[in-house]
Amino acid sequence: MTTGKFRERIRASIADEALQAALDGNAERRTQGRINAFASLPDHEVRRQRAHAIRTEVIDHLDEYLARFIKKVESNGIIVHRAEDADAAIKIFLEIAADHNAKLVAKSKSMVSEEINLNHALQAAGLQAVETDLGEYIVQLRGERPSHIITPAVHLRRHEVGALFQEKLGIPYTEDIPILTNTARKVLREVFLTADIGMSGVNFGVAESGTLCIVTNEGNGRMVTTVPKVHIALLGMERLLPRLDDLALFLSLLPRSATSQKLSVYTSLIHSPRRQGDLDGPGERHLILLDNGRSTLRGSNLQEALLCIRCGACLNACPVFREIGGHAYVGADGAPAPYPGPIGSVLSPGLFGSREYGQLAQASSLCGACRAVCPVDIDLPVLLLRVRAGAAREVEKEEGVGVPVSLKSGIRLFRGVAARPSLFGFLQRMAGVGSRLPPARENWMHLPAFSGWGLSKDLPRPAIRPFRSRWKSLKHENPQDLLKTEYSLPMDAILPTEGFDLTEKFMEELKALGGEGHVCRTVEIPALISSLLNARGIGKVMVDGNSAKLLAGSGLELVQSPDTSCRAGVTRATAGVADTGSLLVIGGPGELLSASLLGEVHIAILERGDLHASLAEVINTDHVRRAPAAVVISGPSRTADIEMTLTIGVHGPGELIVLLVDDSAPEMIK
Amino acid sequence: MPETVQLMVTCLVDTFFPQVGEAMVKVLERAGVRVEFPAEQTCCGQPAFNAGLRREARPLAEHTIRVFEALPGKVIIPSGSCTVMLKYGYPELFADDSSWLERAIKLADRTFEFSEFLVDGLGVSDLGATWRGKVSYHSSCHLLRGLGVDRQPRLLLSNVKEAELIELPQAEDCCGFGGVFSVEHPEVSTEMLRRKIKNLETAQAATLVVCDTGCLMNIQGGLKRMRKPQRVVHLAEVLANQEKAG
Repeated sequence: MTTGKFRERIRASIADEALQAALDGNAERRTQGRINAFASLPDHEVRRQRAHAIRTEVIDHLDEYLARFIKKVESNGIIVHRAEDADAAIKIFLEIAADHNAKLVAKSKSMVSEEINLNHALQAAGLQAVETDLGEYIVQLRGERPSHIITPAVHLRRHEVGALFQEKLGIPYTEDIPILTNTARKVLREVFLTADIGMSGVNFGVAESGTLCIVTNEGNGRMVTTVPKVHIALLGMERLLPRLDDLALFLSLLPRSATSQKLSVYTSLIHSPRRQGDLDGPGERHLILLDNGRSTLRGSNLQEALLCIRCGACLNACPVFREIGGHAYVGADGAPAPYPGPIGSVLSPGLFGSREYGQLAQASSLCGACRAVCPVDIDLPVLLLRVRAGAAREVEKEEGVGVPVSLKSGIRLFRGVAARPSLFGFLQRMAGVGSRLPPARENWMHLPAFSGWGLSKDLPRPAIRPFRSRWKSLKHENPQDLLKTEYSLPMDAILPTEGFDLTEKFMEELKALGGEGHVCRTVEIPALISSLLNARGIGKVMVDGNSAKLLAGSGLELVQSPDTSCRAGVTRATAGVADTGSLLVIGGPGELLSASLLGEVHIAILERGDLHASLAEVINTDHVRRAPAAVVISGPSRTADIEMTLTIGVHGPGELIVLLVDDSAPEMIK
Repeated sequence: MPETVQLMVTCLVDTFFPQVGEAMVKVLERAGVRVEFPAEQTCCGQPAFNAGLRREARPLAEHTIRVFEALPGKVIIPSGSCTVMLKYGYPELFADDSSWLERAIKLADRTFEFSEFLVDGLGVSDLGATWRGKVSYHSSCHLLRGLGVDRQPRLLLSNVKEAELIELPQAEDCCGFGGVFSVEHPEVSTEMLRRKIKNLETAQAATLVVCDTGCLMNIQGGLKRMRKPQRVVHLAEVLANQEKAG
């Protein structure tokens, strides 16, 4: 077992000051952010256990759920392909690309594509694949793998990104994060508009409705699934949920765990390609369902790892990840494993074999911080123990995977002794005396660094009289009259707050997300929109059918198709979510999803009567089911991929303005 | 009739920190419990189990079950980690052996960590103990996250006279021990320990209280090496310390 390269990488990571600063920043912000995010979800423990049960149900009956899901997705008009392994998935991808004579692929973040090394394969086949998530784009320019499941460039500091963009994109060196972000935005905008294929991962597939749910913040996920003519989605076959109601539950957990958000900015819900009468959307959608070891993992005692929803919380909580970073989790060949951190130390050996990745499971103190933050309560410490005990592929029955031979022998010797109590007691006393030859004053001794322990710690000398020797002569105590206090157990989980005022709550949440809200009456809409746009010097807007009627006499130039020369878009919102300040915007006949995506400003018109308290009431509706694609928008587009510094306005609009229409509201003061 | 309990002292306490075992007996006896110590006990097998060497762990687990299943009363352990091994590790170890599994679960059901037993089992919260100076508490991983025991040791400490309790920053972070981990990945373990010691210095406490001698050995070992004056003690040592009346 080559633990050598792994140890080398660990040492290098610890010695790298910039990396250490980046990892500290990540751990501190994510830990606090997660706590804050879950504070708004008082029943999160109940939800977590429910999420665990739902995912277990799916994995236990995966074949049935897959059959149901595939049938639904196909009947929705998406072409489904099943890939047994990485090669099969790549072959399918290349065939689709060849059918469309494709040259350029715009990719949004997909860990599955990292798992199968898709970019490398596409490049070898003469296709250009460009990552469009800012963090992913940065690591692609550096020729690296992402170092984190959620924040691919978390290992880098702004000066490194500045130097990279100077070298690769030819801009003057800068450490200004908004400038760096805007540079990437401009380059990538061109990619979105000219790409032949948009490729995305999928966060959840919903069996009952065939929904592909994709969660992003920057808007790149929406871009690649809306703008190019062909969309290819890549999905690990285990990432299914039974119902749309379950999706609402998981969406209350995933963004909070991943990025400390109540909801990500864009929650895309995709059902079908562009249909007749639709104003935008790709004409063809494909779904590639990947096995690649998952079936084998499913039958093993590492099956619970398949519950994972890839939120990355275990990475942020792990004290080992905090010290070594994602790139230090390397295989026997010294190359970074596709999945780092605690879950990666189970998934990588589980999917790809212990010979290559088994040693990763040894890099854990089994402190359980990973399990404590897991939104689906995966018992990661137990899974790590099982990998160590040889549960993963290729090494069944080979125990102590990754443990150096010397340590194994030591433990075997110890077992031999500890199984014989009298020998154990005898050797204990011998060790006590022996460790004091020559006589020592200190009870702690200095071991050499190569012992491992001695690198930074002294070791206590064994007692000359161990406890078992002292027991016989122990002076016993009399009972005392001690104070006993009634101790009441903590009360049951507090229930969510009583019904809040929907308008007030919606406006408050929208504002917190960086959005702008106005309550107005129907008759006031055209004048209000005109004045908002005039103030920004915008005269030409993309509009959906509904808004086109409303704004007919406004003097604005209205465009009812995707048009990048429009700096703004106006759409109606089918529903609003007060709890998260979100809007549901749907595609379909007369609708224009591009209007909420391509401009700098998105103005949404929401009827007061369409405002609901929670996401669950909005997601499981016919509006969503019938839409070829729909999106839940929570604030303007944003990224925090460079040093976790929030930057507003990436690929999607930097401004979100909601007109909440309430005809009982007092007339606006002009 | 006083309640009788079996003391499982753990191999670390037995070998390196016998004073913790003595303190524990003192505290339990003051609380009106009769303590027995089966001398046949050795090690629960956790080091081998955690290293993935289950064939090596099994004989030690079987030995431990044999020693304690024959004796009456609850089994009390001054370690969250060893308690987790008995309660959750053994059922995992014997998952494919129904007769041993049954014996393991029976033992697990009557096994308790020391502070948990005092507070939840006996209803005791004040041992009449005294400890002078600034004191911080480190939440050991297996105790906190494995057993969900945290308020119990904190409650017991809060009633210690003359102790000034100071919250340790990031008290729930691992100290970097992790058994074989500390030997296999000493570089990472060292960094984790440094962080813990830095937090202890921020708290400015003279005494750090733990409920696991694995953490004690690790943190005190680091402090000794760095020639720092802070002392790490087991909760039992604090609770056993009483001012002589009169």
